[in-house]
Amino acid sequence: AALETPVERLSAADGWIADSDDPDHRISFVKAAQRAEAAHGTLSAVGSYTPPNLGGKFKGAGVGVSPAYSYTACVAEVRVDPETYDLKVERLWVAHDCGRALNPVLVEGQIEGSAYMGFGEAVLEEQVFRKGLHKIPSLLEYKLPTIYDTPEIIAMSVETIDREGPYGAKEAGEGPLNPIIPAIANAVYAASHARVESTPITPDKIQRALREAARATTATTPQPERPEQPERKVASR
Amino acid sequence: MMRLPKFEYRAARSVEEALAWLAEYAPAVDKDPEARAMLMAGGTDILPNMKHKVFTPKLVIGLRTVAALRGISYDPERGLRLGAGVRLSEIETSPIVQQRYPALAAAAATISTPQLRQMGTVGGNLCLDTRCNYYNQSEFWRGAREFCLKKGSEICRVAPNGTGCYAVSSCDTAPALIAFGATVRLAGRDGARATPVAALYADDGIHPVKLHDGALLTEIALPPLAGDWRSTYVKYRVRGAFDFPIASVAAVARFDGDLCAEARVTLQGVAPAPLPLPEAEALLRGQRWTPELIEAAAEVAYRAAHPMDNTSGTIALRKRIIRSYTRQALATLAAGPATTAATQAS
Repeated sequence: AALETPVERLSAADGWIADSDDPDHRISFVKAAQRAEAAHGTLSAVGSYTPPNLGGKFKGAGVGVSPAYSYTACVAEVRVDPETYDLKVERLWVAHDCGRALNPVLVEGQIEGSAYMGFGEAVLEEQVFRKGLHKIPSLLEYKLPTIYDTPEIIAMSVETIDREGPYGAKEAGEGPLNPIIPAIANAVYAASHARVESTPITPDKIQRALREAARATTATTPQPERPEQPERKVASR
Repeated sequence: MMRLPKFEYRAARSVEEALAWLAEYAPAVDKDPEARAMLMAGGTDILPNMKHKVFTPKLVIGLRTVAALRGISYDPERGLRLGAGVRLSEIETSPIVQQRYPALAAAAATISTPQLRQMGTVGGNLCLDTRCNYYNQSEFWRGAREFCLKKGSEICRVAPNGTGCYAVSSCDTAPALIAFGATVRLAGRDGARATPVAALYADDGIHPVKLHDGALLTEIALPPLAGDWRSTYVKYRVRGAFDFPIASVAAVARFDGDLCAEARVTLQGVAPAPLPLPEAEALLRGQRWTPELIEAAAEVAYRAAHPMDNTSGTIALRKRIIRSYTRQALATLAAGPATTAATQAS
């Protein structure tokens, strides 16, 4: 039955709509919503938000302004095999400032998704063209990481209550993606001294970077060049 | 979206029936190689290849309904017998395979994905077609340039100056079975014969599996292993699932105290056929496996592997992996009788 209570006395809590003066006089939120929809059709509301005046008067001041910015920090732990240069990303710690976490579990999921995406881009995924044709136009050869490849991800949300955002929230879209790739690249450098400047960071790129670095340091005292290994044999069988 | 081409499907109830149906189509194949019958066990490889129109059989003969191809049995006198239709997941989880032939259990466990191992069979794995990233592509892609040697053109895209096809042997169970000295039973219209697994393969990417005269692989037999046998299989692939081997090593050895009495090392994923290494085996036999000796054998493997640029990974990486994994596999065996399961990359 309807509550027959003046609107200004109604309060909502714990899944109930109740009379503030007499909390036992109540109906469940679901029932209330059903009755309201039966009487008025789909419940909807229209609102709008105008961000504060941002930017300055100088040239370029209108680029990339936003009332709120998210921030993310990532620490990557990697292992580089000194012989094969095979790269394994063991763990990613990702701390994301999302404003208020309206749904902490979803925020964590968004952070994990971003870390996975960044890891795939950093280490595996690649478009290769060979003589005008896509070399690997299939999902077998375009290497999306599987659950066996994905590093352990430690996701942390850092809540800063934003003045502008809804209930203090900012974002947990793909913001956490940003630091993943540079963190992995820097960890590869810390582990192997190989500075790889393009993705994906493959074993061969690590080897090439190390070879170039060795060449640069010995440039002042010329030494016999290391033979390129291995020889590529064609049609020897 | 790639759809299956039209084909007729018949489910065989016996080996004889499957052989008769194969023979039925044999005369047509002489005129048109595409007008053939093909066998399907798990269907995990033939169906994607048909969607790519790499295979366009007129008749597909289902083998899942042939009860005679099932079953794992072990006898201390006669060894292990695997029906060709035994699923890879059965091999991977079989206690007797895990205990006595760990390299085989490990090889089965690294094939593709858990779901596909539930369908794929050991016989199907042994008969897997060679792979090449100029060959395993859609018909549209392949037709955008001339077709490759394996599909009837004059030129191999991988080695235009070469004389053969360099498509890569990509089945994981073969190197392990070769290292164990296994044999396969081939049923033909005029009776059955046994042949070593190693003799099943030709160093020819176009016709890699020697199943002449419409024979059917029915059974795999592994010898009983008496004494201190140790084995392992180490596989490299870019990801931990889905991917075919692009450099892997099977090692099997019998030890007599500190000394190695017998040794077998077989590489996979670097040539049109599994690649046994008799030179490394001779080096290891009768010796105590010191780190120096293991290093020398790994170097032999490194020199013997001549991968081409037709899989994922690069030639240089796959050669380095072969050396590293051969060393790793031999060190595992040298460490003691407690053989280990497969390890794999990233």
